[in-house]
Amino acid sequence: MAYKEKKTITTIVTGIAVLTAYCCYSFGSTIAASDTDAILKQQAVTMLKFIGIGIVAMIVIQILFHILYSISLAVASQIKTGNCNDKEIEKMIELEVIEDERDKIIELKSLRIGFVFAGIGFVSALVWLVMDGSPIYLLNIIFIAFGLGSILEGFTRLYYYSR
Amino acid sequence: MKNKCTITNKIREHRFFANEMTQQQLAEIAGVSRQTIIAIEAGKYSPSLELAFKIANAFDVKIDQIFIFKMEVNHND
Repeated sequence: MAYKEKKTITTIVTGIAVLTAYCCYSFGSTIAASDTDAILKQQAVTMLKFIGIGIVAMIVIQILFHILYSISLAVASQIKTGNCNDKEIEKMIELEVIEDERDKIIELKSLRIGFVFAGIGFVSALVWLVMDGSPIYLLNIIFIAFGLGSILEGFTRLYYYSR
Repeated sequence: MKNKCTITNKIREHRFFANEMTQQQLAEIAGVSRQTIIAIEAGKYSPSLELAFKIANAFDVKIDQIFIFKMEVNHND
């Protein structure tokens, strides 16, 4: 499995973890406010918190992944050739990390699928509201749709890489 | 009438004659990842014109010696 596939898997796992944490927090906690505006504000604060957590988690995990990947390459080189040259390892990483035209095409295709899913979620949320659904769930449907869209984007990327 | 276009390549053959050049070496020359070279060689990905020229230049041959374009015309449809 190549560097980009492994990186995509870590992104998917992080996305699933953050979305699961959000669902547990959001649906598990009791709503303190009584009127709709206050509940919506509380939900918005929770969402903003989790967006921040998601971004930080993604950055930290990507850095950790890069470090661990570099170490694994160095260890593999040490076992294979008997010596571990820093410049060679750097060169190997550079060649793996390089983003070429195929990566860009795969990114575009997967982004399109992710956005289509998120769009369907957004429309579903509007339909929910039109059908006299609670606006509190509207926010949750949109947030979860975008989260799932991002996860789906990762899976699509994996599919195109493995094809 | 429906036309079916296929692009095949002779990268493996040219790598063999280029002193068994590795996919990694070709990737370095073309400025792409090894996975892209693997995908092109297997016919799973058709490269851009620019990349096709870079690959041809790596073997010092013309582009049509590496990539072969075939168009099958199906008159039944």
